[in-house]
Amino acid sequence: MSRRVLCKFFAHGACLKGENCEFSHDWKDPPNNICTYYQKGICSYGSRCRYEHVKPSRSDAVASSSSTLLLRSSVPNSSASAYSSKIGLNGVTASTGLPSGVPASGRPFVSHAKPPWNLEYGKHEPLDDYDVLEPRHAKPEDRPLCSFAAAGTCPRGDSCPHIHGDICPSCGKHCLHPFRQEESEEHLQMCTKKQKNIETLKRSQEIECSVCLDRVLLKTSLAERKFGILSECDHPFCISCIRNWRSTSPSSGMDVNNALRACPICRKTSYFVIPSVIWYFSEDEKREIVDNYKAKLRSIDCKHFNFGNGNCPFGTSCFYKHAYRDGRLEEVVLRHLGAEDGDIVIAKDIRLSDFIGSLQIG
Amino acid sequence: MIDFSRVQKELQECSRDIESSGIRVTPKSDNLGRLTGIIPGPTGTPYEGGTFCIDITLPDGYPFEPPKMQFATKVWHPNISSQSGAICLDILKDQWSPALTLKTALLSVQALLSAPQPDDPQDAVVAQQYIKEYQTFVGTARYWTETFAKVSSLGVEEKVQKLVEMGFPESLVRSTLEAVGGDENLALEKLCSG
Repeated sequence: MSRRVLCKFFAHGACLKGENCEFSHDWKDPPNNICTYYQKGICSYGSRCRYEHVKPSRSDAVASSSSTLLLRSSVPNSSASAYSSKIGLNGVTASTGLPSGVPASGRPFVSHAKPPWNLEYGKHEPLDDYDVLEPRHAKPEDRPLCSFAAAGTCPRGDSCPHIHGDICPSCGKHCLHPFRQEESEEHLQMCTKKQKNIETLKRSQEIECSVCLDRVLLKTSLAERKFGILSECDHPFCISCIRNWRSTSPSSGMDVNNALRACPICRKTSYFVIPSVIWYFSEDEKREIVDNYKAKLRSIDCKHFNFGNGNCPFGTSCFYKHAYRDGRLEEVVLRHLGAEDGDIVIAKDIRLSDFIGSLQIG
Repeated sequence: MIDFSRVQKELQECSRDIESSGIRVTPKSDNLGRLTGIIPGPTGTPYEGGTFCIDITLPDGYPFEPPKMQFATKVWHPNISSQSGAICLDILKDQWSPALTLKTALLSVQALLSAPQPDDPQDAVVAQQYIKEYQTFVGTARYWTETFAKVSSLGVEEKVQKLVEMGFPESLVRSTLEAVGGDENLALEKLCSG
């Protein structure tokens, strides 16, 4: 996915990762034009932002950004003239970093033998906050939030030309735009969620694995800093310890179900282990972790099922996706048989040889 | 590979509440794979007053495999071999769990001393005696305790005296006795092995 997004460092001619970069180094690929500030709910440019304001959930954001890129490059004057108008307004030219006498259009640079990053100057980062003085007649929802106030305190105080946002109750910063309801709500939602995550993470840090007796989140290797949650009980282990124990080869008469699959502490049998970077402190939190994990696995094709070519030993209980090449999901039809004693049993793996074997040939 | 950091933690934990449990675990050498456990005989049993030493060998898979434990002190008990000291205890075999520690395992051994299981014997002779002639069993068990496990009947000074008479320097005797938890026989063994 990220391979198809143009690397912004490459676009400026200065990607240090070269071949190893996870972003595309092909000019044909569209750059990522999504405003990350908007997604956090704190874009101070509002409708005037040069980046796209899309919701984080929109999966086709990258595809659509290519069309807007074309749109933008076809009208390069719009952004460049915005610059010149600001410059004219402030009377400040030196701080923009542009040589004096720059034509209103950025195009003439193309013809010069300039390094490629100058080509992109029309899409440069917005100018320094000081240089953007708001016209007084702008609509309040279009006026940007003061970034100083959002970060802490604004040195300009009451004389600041920008809007000082309302205080967000969870992060305590002045970053709620009083006139952009939707954005503020988004920020609040994200912020509360983030705050909750940090809280759980903090509490999770105290949890010790009962096998290695270490604090799980303070283990030396990064891969080990994960909990292994058992489905049936609430005893904490680190993922490597519990997996290690469950995969111990059953020796000296250890029973797989009663010993290895049981919780080392309460000996309750759990059939699966859920890896998680946070520990839970309520049933709801546990359910959320388990559901998220299962949902993630359900989106991955089962390698045993192999698009219908293989045979998955876990059958219908498999957590992975059982889909054919054409996207059709496997349909499971269970055959119920009435057993002699009146019970209903599920027919599974019936072979003709079973019947032939039991035939008495006299 | 033995998880040595866990063994270290277990030793620390064990030495912290040595007063309440009376259970002591000390490494035999620099290698943490071989240790000695010391448990007091439970009160109200023929083993009362005795101090029992248990040889502990940690397998490579510890804590995912149970530690190997064997009585070094001779003991008369249906589930402990009177010859080899082998212990018949489910948690040291198929009921082991990595959440158990050396201390909890030794506590279980101590509990086994107070609650023999003659139906699942390690030593058939002792088990027969336990079932058929309980009084004789109690007598033998007490006699063995007196004979083999009563090191603590001697005061520290007497033990030091005894070992010094054998020709070891006093300061070394004191430090060695300290290291093995006051067990005179263990100290002698250690002194002899240098």
